[in-house]
Amino acid sequence: MVVVGQTFVILVRGLDLSVASLMATVAVLATAFKATTNDAIPMIFVAAIAFSAVVGLVNGWLVARRNVSPFLATLAMMIILQGVRFAYTGGAPISTLPPGMGFLASGRILGIPVNLITLALLAIIFGVVLHRSRLGREIFMVGSNPKAAFLNGVAPDRVIIFCYVICSVCAGIGGLFLLGYVGTVSNWVGQGYELDSIVAAVMGGVALTGGRGNIFAALLGVAVLVVINNLVLLLGFPIEMQLIIKGIIIIGAAAFYRTRLA
Amino acid sequence: MSAVVAEFRRNRLSLSYVIVVALLILLVVAGGFLSDRFLTWRNFGNLFQQLVVLGMVSLGQTFVVLLGGIDLAVGSLVSASTVFIAHFLEWRPDLLWLALPLALVAATAIGALNGLLTIVLRVHPLIVTLGMSSIIFGGTLMYNKEPGGSVPRGLADFSYAKLWGTPVTAIVLVAIFALAGLWLQRSRSGRSIYFVGGDREAARLNGLPVNRIVVMAYALSGLCAGLAAIFLTARTGVGDPRIGAALTLQSITPVVVGGTVLAGGRGGVLGTLLGVLLVTMLNNLLNFLNVSSYYQWVIQGLIIIIAVSIHTTKRRQ
Amino acid sequence: MVTPVIELSRIEKEYPGVKPLDRVDFAVRPGEIHALLGENGAGKSTLIRVMGGAIKPNGGSMTYLGKPVSWQSPKQARAAGIHVIHQELALFPELSVAENILVDAQPRNGLGLISGRARHARAAEILAQLGVRISTHAKIDELPLADQQMVEIAKALVGEVRLLVLDEPTAVISGHEVDLLFDNMRRLKREGVGIVYVSHRLEEIFEIADRVTILKDGQVAGTGPVGDLTREEMITKMVGRRLEQIYPARRKAPAGGPDILKVSNLRAGHRVRDVSITVKPGEVVGIAGMVGSGRTEVAEIIFGTRALDGGTIEFEGRPLDQRRPREAIRNGVGFLTENRKDEGLFLGLPISANVMAPDLAGVTRRGLIDRRGERDIALEQIRNFAVAAPSPEVKVGNLSGGNQQKVLFGRWSRIARKLLILDEPTRGVDIGAKVEIYRIVRNLAEQGVGILMISSELPEIIGLSDRIFVMSQGHVAGEIDGASATEEAIMDLAVRSIDRREGKAARLEQVA
Repeated sequence: MVVVGQTFVILVRGLDLSVASLMATVAVLATAFKATTNDAIPMIFVAAIAFSAVVGLVNGWLVARRNVSPFLATLAMMIILQGVRFAYTGGAPISTLPPGMGFLASGRILGIPVNLITLALLAIIFGVVLHRSRLGREIFMVGSNPKAAFLNGVAPDRVIIFCYVICSVCAGIGGLFLLGYVGTVSNWVGQGYELDSIVAAVMGGVALTGGRGNIFAALLGVAVLVVINNLVLLLGFPIEMQLIIKGIIIIGAAAFYRTRLA
Repeated sequence: MSAVVAEFRRNRLSLSYVIVVALLILLVVAGGFLSDRFLTWRNFGNLFQQLVVLGMVSLGQTFVVLLGGIDLAVGSLVSASTVFIAHFLEWRPDLLWLALPLALVAATAIGALNGLLTIVLRVHPLIVTLGMSSIIFGGTLMYNKEPGGSVPRGLADFSYAKLWGTPVTAIVLVAIFALAGLWLQRSRSGRSIYFVGGDREAARLNGLPVNRIVVMAYALSGLCAGLAAIFLTARTGVGDPRIGAALTLQSITPVVVGGTVLAGGRGGVLGTLLGVLLVTMLNNLLNFLNVSSYYQWVIQGLIIIIAVSIHTTKRRQ
Repeated sequence: MVTPVIELSRIEKEYPGVKPLDRVDFAVRPGEIHALLGENGAGKSTLIRVMGGAIKPNGGSMTYLGKPVSWQSPKQARAAGIHVIHQELALFPELSVAENILVDAQPRNGLGLISGRARHARAAEILAQLGVRISTHAKIDELPLADQQMVEIAKALVGEVRLLVLDEPTAVISGHEVDLLFDNMRRLKREGVGIVYVSHRLEEIFEIADRVTILKDGQVAGTGPVGDLTREEMITKMVGRRLEQIYPARRKAPAGGPDILKVSNLRAGHRVRDVSITVKPGEVVGIAGMVGSGRTEVAEIIFGTRALDGGTIEFEGRPLDQRRPREAIRNGVGFLTENRKDEGLFLGLPISANVMAPDLAGVTRRGLIDRRGERDIALEQIRNFAVAAPSPEVKVGNLSGGNQQKVLFGRWSRIARKLLILDEPTRGVDIGAKVEIYRIVRNLAEQGVGILMISSELPEIIGLSDRIFVMSQGHVAGEIDGASATEEAIMDLAVRSIDRREGKAARLEQVA
């Protein structure tokens, strides 16, 4: 889910380091309702999406309007969110959650995991937006050549901001699912996702220079990453081995796409 | 000092510097008002000691950023180096003269490998160094998961030694920065980092050995990480495979606060030094004011945004 | 027989599928200006790169100053005295002029440290040799293009230069900037330097070159003293066929009817001071003038990408207030910018996406893009404009310059129902494609579109325009009828009112 969003941002020559921090923050926000019944779930979703959208708006504004490099803007956002979150929780984990949240993560409909359904749904919606809609075309145009996009009647700033909002909202929803999965909120929930999501997108062939990529290929990148992680565990390799293999694959995959497309 | 002045003039970075210096002065004055312990010689000694490690890593990062790259492996490299040093010295405390150079050589080599990979594979440095970081971290964990090892008395003393009331480590740091500034401004190889960072293709067409320069910058970043690890091990007395993790991103803040542009080709080490001072002093002051470290994060994030906004706005004019 | 500075014999270069150089013989004598002609893709750039050491040939041999050589890197060729000035200047925009000139030869003091003072002194000395007055402290991106080019030439004079290669140096400069360049070329020639000169402008070849070699499809199509070949013979050799007529027939009667565009007393910044221009439907109106005379700025103001300080723009008789390209496009105005790679094309996207870029609404059904419709339109435009591409899915970055430009015509001809602004429409395009572009422009005009064309190539302006406005220093210096215009008349207006202190173009002036 996070990768779907990350793909949008990378396509407009950006990247978002704040996704993981946002996931955790949204998770904390969800627990802030101290809800014990399922009635609160819609509200939690609305609040989470709204909060994420604001974060994305700020990221996008900094990048598009203030010319701050995406790396720094989202890095700063990551640190800020982290600070706000810790200040609120005081560093302790919380676990007041409506019971229905767990269903999101581990429930099944017709035997298919709910989270997979949601992911597929999101991927299809955003895939269509990106690859078939007018807005999607504008995203590719801005990523490929922002100046030319402007001269062709596109407003690059708006497109860029939109991408950051999409990215943050995806991360926010991802955070809720993760919360349902884990059950409790430690302040570091989601840590590592920012880099993993970029890596997966790159492995899926999304070019960091913008304007080239495909959501479904990016998700394939996720699948590969997940399979690798699982494989390493199944083969009984220790976690450190997993780190090493991941590192090699990151570099190797990127190199592979580079030479193939060059 | 002349190198520093030269940098001032030639890169016309003065306005960036003036802003950072003004902020620094503001901080010192504010600090003096807000806490009676802030403006003491003793505190400034501590402060310098605190910034030595960050300073070294940021210096290395400066070289790479000037080149238009980024090094996300520094944190893991610092951790790995502390583990190496501490364990080696636990084994043979008498071989201090061998352990430290060996650590530096190894760190430099790994840095050079980063540079080499970006060239050979033609992959974005973000990805390469990220992958390397993961590999180094994994490798370190394989060796040892917990902090361990020890250092001989002499090395530990070095970290607390003072000369005329100033920590020796701080003097060493400033000396290294001055040397780095001189090298960047006044030597052929140093200048070429600006050329390559400004426009890599143009540098190639001008007959500069671009690949060698890239590898050199990353190697220097590795060397700086190694030096930082020495300072760090000397102070903590152990090798900790996780101690450097936060340094990776922390090292970027002072670089950009000091006016070095992520796109490469502009900036300098003086800015980084000021940036390190600013960030460390701010945290120090906030500690005195009993502001929780959580809010310190928020403030650090805001500083990045504000500093970069100032630098970019100025450039557009 | 003097020993040539450089002599290439049977040089071959092969990439998978293409052979940009096929047994090419080429020699430059000392003190000779040798023009290298050919369409884009004929192999000129590859040949230059071979001489400069940027590319290693697959076959053939090369001798330099009488000795066989085989360059391993540009550095080696440069050390031997070969200096190549590429079309895209190899300068560092953030750094000072002095540092750029002495990029690889920074003067050092006794301690081995670079000396700033010596650097500026040496750079100033070299610039004085060239007869240009540029501050050695200025940053490159503060200089006009012509000055930047002089800096590039100054770099050649740092060491010993025996062979100077200039790849289309006049593409970005005009008027007396060209004269200054030629003066310097002649001076170097007198000093015995061999010069290779690449240009698409035949007039310049006759003015400056001693000998000419024409490349066609990677082979030498002809070589000899310039005087031995006529202009027509050169063109024939370049394109491999006779061009009956380069420029299509002008319109018979002057365009009638109301003005489609009426610009009055336009002012914007210091570049545009007082510009009044009119365009009628079906008319090709040329704007001539030096680079930096405000031509591009006027186009940008009309299209809505640049703010104006004063004056009015009337479009179809109504005051126009289009402050964004989007509105201009909606009004039926198109703008083909001078820099197609930076501002025009989406190199990584297919032809279809490039053609439809300003008209996404036209192929959007219920928010989604109708891909078949898009493909059909793209195919039609590929046919209409004879773009050499196998399918609309081909990425534009893989096309030649001429075909890229045709894709842009395919794009804007659909949009510009009323007015099409062209800024240097044939820059970097080979002569065959140029002729096609001229026909396209005239055809569009005949369909009733008003054309406003900016160009630095006077023959093109004269050959194509019905009326010509000549700009100088942000003013319209005069209006000339296209049919009776001469290059002299245009140049006379273009340089007439130059204020030497104010004009950017005038910064580059001869030191007496």
